[in-house]
Amino acid sequence: MAGYIVRRILGVVPVMLAAATVVWCLMFLLPGDPARLIAGGQGVDPRVLESIREEWGLDAPAPVQYFHYLGKLLRGDLGVSYIQRRPVAAIIADHFPATLVLAVAAVLLAAVGGMLLGSLAAFTRNRLLDQLVLVLALLGTSTPVFWLGLMLMLLFASHLGWLPVLGYGMNGPVIPWIDARLPEWDHLVLPAVTLSLVSLGVIARLTRASLLETGGAEYLVTASAKGASRLRVFTRHALKNALVPVVTIVGIDFAAMLGGAVATEYVFAWPGLGKTIVRAIALQDLPLVEGGVLFLTFIFVAVNLAIDLLYVYLDPRIDSRRAA
Amino acid sequence: MTTLPDRLTSQGQALTIRLLLGAGVLALCALACGQPAPLAPDGEQVFRFRLREDPPTLDPALSTDNLSEAVVMNLFRGLVFMNPETLRVRPAVASSWTISEDRLRYVFSLRDDVRFHNGRRVTADDVRYSFERLLRKEVSSPRRFVLEPLAGAAAFSAGESDTIAGLEVIDDRTVALRLEKPFAPFLAMLSMAAAALVPREVYDDPQSRYLRAPVGCGPFRLTGWEQSNFIELRAFDDYFAGRPHLDRVVVRIIENRESALQEYRAGGLDSLDEPPGPDTGEVYAELQDEVLRFPYIATGYIGFNTALPPFRDNATLRKAFNYAVDKDYLWEVLMPRGNTAARGIIPPGIPGFDESLPGYPHDPERARRLLAEAGYPGGEGLPDVTLWVNTSEDNRRIAQQVQADLRKVGVALMIREVDWGAYMAAVAGTAEQPGEAQMFRFGWFLDYPDADAILRMTLHSDNIGPLGNFFRYDNPEFDRLVDEALVLTDPDARAALYREAERIAVMDDAVWLFLNYYESSTLFKPYVKGIVPTPLGEFRIPLELLRIEIP
Repeated sequence: MAGYIVRRILGVVPVMLAAATVVWCLMFLLPGDPARLIAGGQGVDPRVLESIREEWGLDAPAPVQYFHYLGKLLRGDLGVSYIQRRPVAAIIADHFPATLVLAVAAVLLAAVGGMLLGSLAAFTRNRLLDQLVLVLALLGTSTPVFWLGLMLMLLFASHLGWLPVLGYGMNGPVIPWIDARLPEWDHLVLPAVTLSLVSLGVIARLTRASLLETGGAEYLVTASAKGASRLRVFTRHALKNALVPVVTIVGIDFAAMLGGAVATEYVFAWPGLGKTIVRAIALQDLPLVEGGVLFLTFIFVAVNLAIDLLYVYLDPRIDSRRAA
Repeated sequence: MTTLPDRLTSQGQALTIRLLLGAGVLALCALACGQPAPLAPDGEQVFRFRLREDPPTLDPALSTDNLSEAVVMNLFRGLVFMNPETLRVRPAVASSWTISEDRLRYVFSLRDDVRFHNGRRVTADDVRYSFERLLRKEVSSPRRFVLEPLAGAAAFSAGESDTIAGLEVIDDRTVALRLEKPFAPFLAMLSMAAAALVPREVYDDPQSRYLRAPVGCGPFRLTGWEQSNFIELRAFDDYFAGRPHLDRVVVRIIENRESALQEYRAGGLDSLDEPPGPDTGEVYAELQDEVLRFPYIATGYIGFNTALPPFRDNATLRKAFNYAVDKDYLWEVLMPRGNTAARGIIPPGIPGFDESLPGYPHDPERARRLLAEAGYPGGEGLPDVTLWVNTSEDNRRIAQQVQADLRKVGVALMIREVDWGAYMAAVAGTAEQPGEAQMFRFGWFLDYPDADAILRMTLHSDNIGPLGNFFRYDNPEFDRLVDEALVLTDPDARAALYREAERIAVMDDAVWLFLNYYESSTLFKPYVKGIVPTPLGEFRIPLELLRIEIP
């Protein structure tokens, strides 16, 4: 197991190198002049543009710029944002906690809600509740997040006034050792629910299917015959094995939420990393785009590793198959 | 034998009932939860407005956009300040000044009660430091043109001199500025953010911490900035012109217009810069009494690249395009949000604005005649023409309407929509090479309320390329008139020269497709008082004059 983990971690390096190269090339090929965007304004003196290019190394040939960037990366330096003129690492540190909180809340809602609904649907197979769950799941997966967020905002915030319209809040608790502010809890509700609904639908359907497939297994019959209670049979045997594919989806969705909650962040003015990276692309802020993408790549790989390790707990056969 | 699903079905039904009951209880609890956060604590005057993005910078030397200036103009002050209502220059850090007969030497006397937010008194040496900083090459300020009229500014910027020859600190409270030649809008340019005074001990920081913790001598000081969330300003108690009424200003960063509108309606904002238009029906009816409208010193147009075919050396063709487009329809029917059809370049309210300028009213018949005169009867033989716009719904709608109008006279116009970076590269080109955009939608905001800020900046041949003359317009007579107006002192004489120059560019050369004069429209809650609408734009409404009076 330890060897497996080490191999997986070492495998991250070529993945991130490839990601860094691809993103750098794509950003470099974008039409437009980053110096012009750094300068801003309506008209700009060409002498100022020259000065900016010199200051940021934008006048060097492309290979020189690339290797210079790579060199800094290998030293752990993600560079400085062209537009904000701040270290990229600091910008990521500013925005990632907001994305993390949102993603954790959304994935918990999706996982718990999805498994609950999927279980209910399996229990009440082919009855009204089952059909209702399937329809809701379909709606969840097919409704655009942007529209859904606005509708929830209009209903629960604007009309009913139960929750704030948007934002992160200004008075949430601060975690002192990382100097990050948590959102006010009521500000988290609508964005988390919005972001969770797509995944919730998928998880519900998958849980239902998985439970129905597992339900007739012989080992469950054996367990029941040996005197295990119905609840124990369900929780210790059926659910645990039915969860293996569900864990995969939850993990993938969590990783996707960490980088792809842009629409939700946009609708609810959530100060997350996804929106920040998208904005950086529009402004051709190459260091911030690169740094953000690399960071999310690392997170994605780490989440996948965690999922793999969780598999072993859920299904010990997976570990012995690997050993074999 | 029953299977597990069958056995669990009955358990599931019982579970379902328990769940539904639980959900009902939760809903009741949620109902009991409070409304969105109330307004300010008792007695505190708080004003909340929205910016669609974080300001790219709060460094006055680097500030070039209205997002940055929305905050910067409240944190900093320079020698002089622009009265937002009258657009006249008035004293700020300088209590008074004298100007020599030849208009070359300005001597400023500073107030002795001005302090930076860190408590230190402002002196004449701070003027020298701030001006040198703006001109220093390594700062790469896009606004250094503000001080380039100073004698020796160019040599200092190029690193050929350690000091600015035209800047003299006479004593602790007196500074003299000498120009290379008379420059009529010089005082107006000194009121811009770039000429703000900053303390050396903060702005010499090699780690540039001032970017997140700016220090000026304006009416407000920065007390908080959470990226993509909010910026918080607090009243500066020692502000030399008197402490503002407001205790706190909260700038909310909300990108999505619809979301921002909902937040305004729910009471989370006291002002909103993008009110709904009449085309939004019920929402407009609900809020129209809270909309404040006022002119904005900017002109919208579609530029012609006169260095590229088919517009090169073909003013007749450009005039044909102008007559073909129905600008009144565009601004009164299609997008009725306050802009008005433009007849020329200088916007209303600026000295030199010409009421009698005929412009190009909608006349398709005349357009067809001119098209034939230009060598393209019915549009036949006209090379492909593409209109470039940067990504925005409004630009797209304008482009599509212009396309439709031109089609009626036989011109097949293509539209190309790209993001800002690619757009500016296609429009501006370089000083040597034109951009590839034949036509492009643009708007020019006047940095200072003087016709020079638009005529010279956008159409003088000295500024061909990224400086502002994207059209590569080169007319010696136009240049001569604008150059002459720059050094005159009599406002009426200057205005007459600018009107003459404008007529050449508009009626002789049709250098643009003249689209609109802008109007600002902003929502304000009824309890916000002391609003001074300004042609400088909604983000230049002086916050230090606002007060909140909630009944």
